[in-house]
Amino acid sequence: MLSIVAKDIHVEFPIYDHHMRSLKYTLGLGQIAKGLNRFTAGKLNVGGQIGTGERGRVVIKALDGVSFEIQEGDRIGLLGHNGSGKTTLLRALAGIYEPVSGTIHASGRVVPLFDLQLGMDLDATGIENIWMRGKLLGLSTQQIKDALDDIAEFTDLGEYLYMPIRAYSMGMMVRLAFAISTAITPEILVLDEMIAAGDAAFFARAAARLKSFLSRTGVLVIASHSMPMLREWCNKGMLLERGKLIAYGPLDDVVDRYERAAAP
Amino acid sequence: MNACADDLRIGICSWQLSQFLAWQDIKQRYRRSTLGPVWLTLSFGIQMLTMGVLSSFLFGSSLERSLPYVCAGMLLWFLITQMINDGANLFVSTARYITQIKCPLTLFLMQAIWRNLIVAAHNATIYLVVAALLVVIPGPGILLLPLGLVLVIICLAWVALVSAVVSARYRDVPVMIQNILNILFWFTPLMYFPEQLGSKRFLADFNPFTHMIALVRAPLLGGAPSLNDWLAVLALTVFGWAGTFLFFARFRARVVYWL
Repeated sequence: MLSIVAKDIHVEFPIYDHHMRSLKYTLGLGQIAKGLNRFTAGKLNVGGQIGTGERGRVVIKALDGVSFEIQEGDRIGLLGHNGSGKTTLLRALAGIYEPVSGTIHASGRVVPLFDLQLGMDLDATGIENIWMRGKLLGLSTQQIKDALDDIAEFTDLGEYLYMPIRAYSMGMMVRLAFAISTAITPEILVLDEMIAAGDAAFFARAAARLKSFLSRTGVLVIASHSMPMLREWCNKGMLLERGKLIAYGPLDDVVDRYERAAAP
Repeated sequence: MNACADDLRIGICSWQLSQFLAWQDIKQRYRRSTLGPVWLTLSFGIQMLTMGVLSSFLFGSSLERSLPYVCAGMLLWFLITQMINDGANLFVSTARYITQIKCPLTLFLMQAIWRNLIVAAHNATIYLVVAALLVVIPGPGILLLPLGLVLVIICLAWVALVSAVVSARYRDVPVMIQNILNILFWFTPLMYFPEQLGSKRFLADFNPFTHMIALVRAPLLGGAPSLNDWLAVLALTVFGWAGTFLFFARFRARVVYWL
């Protein structure tokens, strides 16, 4: 049974700026930041809260006491303004950021897909890049061999697969990256608006493949600003604001709340 | 603690992935060059010829003695310094991967080890040529060479891992390390023999690199490393890893926040 349970997780980013670090406290900037934070608290919806960490350094509170449970079959759309903590939450789900306090436990293998072109080398051939991406996605040698034909067929790149991808057009490159990344069958899939990139004509073609990819996964968590996309793929919504989880439930309710908050 | 042990275990167990990534690094570096990785061998060969001749001229030993000595020593010296320098840049240079996919940090350490072993293997062909031309015959001590090499690598691994973690937080450290290594080059018997230091021999004896290099160089040249060399490197490895484990357990999860 796949699930993710998060209990009161806090993620804080220390701000290191080597000019500021020594001067910051002498100039009292920490205090100014605090004051600014109080001043903007009611007005701005952008960014995590600026605060002071345990040893008095300035930190951004990207996630501030977030708790939830995700069950198998859940398709969760993650909503929130820029800097509300969506990406941080996705990365915490994937185990990339270990929370400074609180616990997050996933039963099932979490596969994050943020940058579809991670690890791709312009001077390597299409085939070599399939191997590289496949290995990074955790596929075995046999699984990659099995996926090769499928990828070749979908991308329709033919002879181009044996050429350095430097020779590809942008569209061809996106097609290749997309085909490799959707060749896997993840238990828990974590996506960050990947579908927003690329041209419309390609996505008409890719829609079927994407649909089968997303329906194969046991749990889906996707961050997006696109309501039509979330309505198509998700059954639940999660709304973050300034690092706090303020709504979690059926998608329509959460979208309502998000749109109401966005209205002036 | 457990998470730290897991990181090490999974990092070591995914040796196939780290080896694959290391080969990709080498391929990437020499793509579109006609000679490819042969450049590694070639540039090492030219450097060794220069240094060997210079050493025999400066320090007054015959070329037959100094050339294999310099070549074997430098083979190790490049491995050591490149491992530590790569270590210092390890997490900063792989930040894109670390912040986007979940993988043990030691995977990248393993990648650096493989990469440097591949480079060392290319350089080793030069030593083989030199040894064959000058008829340097290794004695029975050669049987212990693999053990010595493995011990040196394990020891370097912790130095690289600690440098990697510290450098992720303090970005001055890689430059500092590079400078320290540049200075240590002169205090390591590479161009000269330790006995040529005379009354200042302790300078070489207190340098851990002297012992690491001896573990591999001595058997290659037909001798055997001293018990001192073995004990020094063994102690450094055991105590170093014990400390590194505690250090890594404390800071492992923080690294990604520093990138």
